[in-house]
Amino acid sequence: MLEVQNAKKYFGGVKAVDNVSIQVKKSSITGLIGANGAGKTTLFNMISGFIPLTAGTVIYEGEDITNQPAYKISTKGIVRTFQTPLGFPRMTVMENMLVFAKNRNAGIFTAIKTSKKVTPLEEEYIERARKILKDVGLGNKEDAWVSDLSAGELKILEFARPLMADPHIFLLDEPAAGINPANLNSLVTLIKDLRNKGYTFLIVDHNLKFIMNICDYIYVMADGKLIFEGLPDEVANADCVIESYIGKKKTEDTVSN
Amino acid sequence: MESIVYGIVTASIILLGSVGFSMTLNAENFINIAHGQMLLLCAYITLFLNAYMSIVPAAIIGILVTGVFGVLFYKVFYRPIKKRGAMVLLFTSVGLAYVINGVVGTIFGTTTFAYKIPNVKEIIPGMTPYQLLIIIAAICSTLFLHYFLTKTKIGKAIRAVSENSDLAKTRGIDTKRTSNYVWFIASSLAGLSGVFLGVIGSIHLEMGWNQILIILAATVLGGLGSIYGVMAASVVIGLSMELGVLMIPSYYRLAIAFAIIIIVLLIKPDGLQSLWNKSGKRVA
Amino acid sequence: MLTGTALFLSSILTLAAIYAVIALALNLEAGVDGLWDLGVVSFVAVGAYTYTMLTVSPASAGQSYIMGFGLPMWVGVLAAGIAGSIVAFLIGKPTLKLKNEYFLITTFAFAEVIRQILTNERWLSNGVAGVYNLAQPFKTYFTPSVYPYILLLLLVIIVFIVYVVVHRLTYSTFGRSLKALRENEPLALTAGIRPDRFHIRAFVIAGFFAGTAGAFYVWYSTVITPSLFTSDITFFVWMAIVIGGLANNKGAIVGSVIFVLAGESLRFLDLGSGFAVRMASMKIAILGLILIAILKWRPQGILPEKKVKFSNSSKNS
Ligand SMILES: Nc1ncnc2c1ncn2[C@@H]1O[C@H](COP(=O)(O)OP(=O)(O)O)[C@@H](O)[C@H]1O
Ligand SMILES: [Mg+2]
Repeated sequence: MLEVQNAKKYFGGVKAVDNVSIQVKKSSITGLIGANGAGKTTLFNMISGFIPLTAGTVIYEGEDITNQPAYKISTKGIVRTFQTPLGFPRMTVMENMLVFAKNRNAGIFTAIKTSKKVTPLEEEYIERARKILKDVGLGNKEDAWVSDLSAGELKILEFARPLMADPHIFLLDEPAAGINPANLNSLVTLIKDLRNKGYTFLIVDHNLKFIMNICDYIYVMADGKLIFEGLPDEVANADCVIESYIGKKKTEDTVSN
Repeated sequence: MESIVYGIVTASIILLGSVGFSMTLNAENFINIAHGQMLLLCAYITLFLNAYMSIVPAAIIGILVTGVFGVLFYKVFYRPIKKRGAMVLLFTSVGLAYVINGVVGTIFGTTTFAYKIPNVKEIIPGMTPYQLLIIIAAICSTLFLHYFLTKTKIGKAIRAVSENSDLAKTRGIDTKRTSNYVWFIASSLAGLSGVFLGVIGSIHLEMGWNQILIILAATVLGGLGSIYGVMAASVVIGLSMELGVLMIPSYYRLAIAFAIIIIVLLIKPDGLQSLWNKSGKRVA
Repeated sequence: MLTGTALFLSSILTLAAIYAVIALALNLEAGVDGLWDLGVVSFVAVGAYTYTMLTVSPASAGQSYIMGFGLPMWVGVLAAGIAGSIVAFLIGKPTLKLKNEYFLITTFAFAEVIRQILTNERWLSNGVAGVYNLAQPFKTYFTPSVYPYILLLLLVIIVFIVYVVVHRLTYSTFGRSLKALRENEPLALTAGIRPDRFHIRAFVIAGFFAGTAGAFYVWYSTVITPSLFTSDITFFVWMAIVIGGLANNKGAIVGSVIFVLAGESLRFLDLGSGFAVRMASMKIAILGLILIAILKWRPQGILPEKKVKFSNSSKNS
């Protein structure tokens, strides 16, 4: 359903993404792993229209969406999350949800004429948002400022929000980073649930266990290039992956500690 | 010829004001509207001292005092609220600009003043020694600043902080100390610029506002925060303001500066944007 | 004495009401949407001049300005708003692409250029001399001694109307999208919100109300000169909304009243003649201090942005 062909992104001399092709099948959970700086986020940015491609194409449901503006791509049902989720900090959880409601019906003159605080249409969205929040375990938080949420709650909210608009495919950038084990489990259940309902996922993460556990198919990147792809066990046993990814990760950990 | 001399003199004055503005913009990441009032402050301090002594010692004391005020303002007004972001800092600087302007106005009134300086003859046709002095001072300041930023330890630290203050901190650079230097130098240069404005023209309450607008123009043209870019931009704006009045009425002098930045931004919003984006603020 | 004080008070409250209209406009674009507009005075100036040129009689000897159609006031007010919107559109179209810092500088620059044109192009609007003795609404129906209160009443009604409109916009889906852009533009993009569209709408609406405020300002001052429209207006209105509470519409009104009262009440201090000219300076110094103090000790303003709750309004549905 989503296909990236020979994508390249150069920042000056840095080849952040170098000739990467990936394919995400409908209702699959596809993983993308690689050390810090491998180019994963850059790839996400290109798919979702945040930065232009130096070369290559992005095809979604048979349509070429290369370099379309981000707001347009998201209305097609492709939603992405961000590595550092902030949400809309000075808005409530409910407002955060409503921003993502599909028919945002932003008529200015209607708004000026309407004396009701909540229109019937909005009423519907509010009910829908409540249901989603309840399902993901944020039911009691609807009136909280998003800036007051914990890091874990923010991560959950990060993809509760797009559910308002019935997306087809989620691009999740490091959803498990900084999440505690208990929350991680509910995250895994949540993702698997959604997949069973027909949603598709492309997930970038560092947590190998999480990725291995959840994904149907995995791509491995290093220094902007695709170095391996395969089923979870194949990836777990591939020499080049262990060498380039896990080896590198170790050294990085020691640096950042 | 005369216009070119004027242009270079104007450019020198703009340069002295803009360089300091850019330094604080780089170091603290906010637009310091009060910077224009530092020119005014120094011009008036010098004016006050000029009643008791000749212009040169008056200006020197004035500039040093203004530098100290700069550091003081930073410590009292900006540093305590630095964490609250660019918007709060910006409007604090607007508040401070009004305070400085208001206090100076309360003391000196709305009269237009001039310094007591000896009358001199043109040394070469079309150029007075004062104009020559201004140009030389601007060149010397530029060279000094370049030497200071690239060769001295504290200068290098300032550049490191400007590029990435978090990284600089982890590398053990004392950002408080570099800030003091930045504000002292920036404010003194502004002060020097203010005194020069008074020497070639007059001293009045609007000078700070007029000048901050031109400084903003130079800063945009030079690419927000690039010190060398701003130097070049100051020359371009100074020259075009003075040469422009040959073609259009002189009361549009200031408008020329704005027209330039408006045009530049309209033609090349992304070019300049990308310069600014090196700070990585917008990267998703 | 008492009537003197009451008159004075009604006069400054009228001024505060005009500020409040501009503040509400600015609050929509700068508080709800996050545009750092340092050129809001452009709309006020263009609105004021459009109103004047359309409603005055043709230029007499010794004056020179365009138009002078003698149209009814309400046409003038509407035209002032539309002119404000048009200027907002023309300025906004190219500049809204720019990020905060550039946008701020360009709008500031535009405002100065507009003022310089009004100052220097005498054929357009009589230059620095301006136009005097401009008419005020409903003036002939009242005796001169009560008229100031009528004008105040009229402006209070206008502020109320503008408040209702801006309030509804703020809490509509449109306003929510603006807030989303202000809070996190990349995330708003993933919700399908198109930044340029929303920003320009907010900017044009703000231009409309600020433009009408220009007409009201002419009612108040009965004269029009370019020196009324310096960037001080922009900064003062910003101060008013920062003091009142950014993104809070009641705050915009409260801030305007406090700001104008604080500035004008200094006139009560009797510091002897000769000090009068310095009073203006002292006033801005004190206003500057108030702004600094608010930002330091109450950065959210007197009335912080309201939390939008839906839990009570729709629980029993
Ligand atoms: N906006 C940018 N400008 C310049 N270089 C960038 C930019 N974004 C990313 N890079 C570089 O591209 C490379 C890949 O980064 P990224 O995609 O963030 O990696 P990952 O998400 O895999 O950790 C890194 O070397 C990074 O420094
Ligand atoms: Mg990343």
